Amino acid sequence: MFGFGYGEGFPDHSIASVEPAGEGRILIRTSAADVGQGVQTVAVQIASEVLKLDPEHFEIVEGDTHTTQNAGSSSATRQTYFTGHAVKEAAEDLLGNIYHYASQEFTTNHPEMGTRDGRIFSHVNSDDEMTIWELKDRLANRGIELKGRGTFFPRTYKPDPETGQSEKVYVGYSYHTQVVEVVVDTVTGQVTVEKAYSAIDAGKAINPAGVEGQVEGGTAQGLGMALMEEQIIEEGRTLNPDMSRYLVPTAVDVPEVETVIVENEDTDGPFGAKGIGEPAMIATAPAIINAIYDAIGVRFYQLPVTPEKIKAALEQN
Amino acid sequence: MKITFTINNEERSLEVSSHQRLLDIIRKDLGLTAAKEGCGKGECGACTVLFNGEPVASCLVLAPQADGAEILTVEGLLSREGELHPLQQAFLDAGAVQCGFCIPGSIMTGYRLLQDNPEPEREEVCQALAGNICRCTGYQKIVDAIQLAARRMQAGGDSS
Ligand code: FES
Ligand code: FES
Repeated sequence: MFGFGYGEGFPDHSIASVEPAGEGRILIRTSAADVGQGVQTVAVQIASEVLKLDPEHFEIVEGDTHTTQNAGSSSATRQTYFTGHAVKEAAEDLLGNIYHYASQEFTTNHPEMGTRDGRIFSHVNSDDEMTIWELKDRLANRGIELKGRGTFFPRTYKPDPETGQSEKVYVGYSYHTQVVEVVVDTVTGQVTVEKAYSAIDAGKAINPAGVEGQVEGGTAQGLGMALMEEQIIEEGRTLNPDMSRYLVPTAVDVPEVETVIVENEDTDGPFGAKGIGEPAMIATAPAIINAIYDAIGVRFYQLPVTPEKIKAALEQN
Repeated sequence: MKITFTINNEERSLEVSSHQRLLDIIRKDLGLTAAKEGCGKGECGACTVLFNGEPVASCLVLAPQADGAEILTVEGLLSREGELHPLQQAFLDAGAVQCGFCIPGSIMTGYRLLQDNPEPEREEVCQALAGNICRCTGYQKIVDAIQLAARRMQAGGDSS
């Protein structure tokens, strides 16, 4: 189990806005940093779903204090949950404004109109039709800006200073189970992870390939933590500050990962989504260490379990 | 000193100094920024380019050594019409790119592999990629992408 978001009374939040720009384009303003985990893709997918408009129409306006508001950090496994939620609210706000102003233009009631693929139309009078961008221009003539704004700002709870307990320590919780198959070479002490099976609770996988990518990458990092990554510091100096001495997994070290996505929806997540960035990696090292125990009957309490440690342990037994 | 070489099928002449690296002239002088500098000492593979047909860490090649050489970078994989190479397309389709830093190097390694071995097994792709470190993807989708490109190139008869 992994608690995500800062929690602990921290004023954690994300603000986004969604607005039509030039013909055919919709801007999503969010300062959520995409470092490859895919939050911008997720933001586009969410806005696209709410506005019933193809993803090609959307553009992200990236973090800039002049043009975007706070989305918080890309850490604590929080961006899909926080910014996804803010973007969903912003897109819904825009959709509400589209209905509000278009129904004035059409002089219809809200239930008597619809929008799809950037068109807004009346069910009553088929002549009443315009694009989102035409509506934007008409409103601009009236001095009104067509846009939507959304904020996700959940309440978080300070832990009791005595007991460390709180009503809800983190903002949400994800679950991940992993099974690994390892081979331990008792002559060389080398551990090979042959295969990994993961079941991860993503709440709702907004982008299933992205979820798999996070699990596969997390497994590689967890494997590094379990078996090879060790910063050696002596008198304040790192003795292995490079990748020939601080080893990270390469393509020949990692197992194939079979990922099963479990969708146990979260009530506050956008479309039920939870954060899965860090939970994707935390299961791997314990699974590998347990598998080594299963293979050779030795329990290790210090990572990484290098070939030297395995050999030394086997010789002792 | 002045050196002349071919990069992405274009002949270029440059005034270089003896301490410059091939990676420097590719990125800074020519503005071809696909190849990345990860470690700057031949350990990560982010700067991989083809040098006379073979993958090299361009951070370890001195610029004067490029005199007369033929160099290929990811920018040179686009077709004349600007279409993506099947490998590039496969990396997109397989979801193989996260932060992207290692990707240009991995693509060049994959490109060279498929020249020798148009239908590599998973193991063989992993072996070839062993010098391209990726911190994000766990390699699975990179391997998938290279195998996907291999299948498409075999089916389409494209061996470029
Ligand atoms: S930058 Fe050349 S190998 Fe890392
Ligand atoms: S995609 Fe980030 S290092 Fe490979």
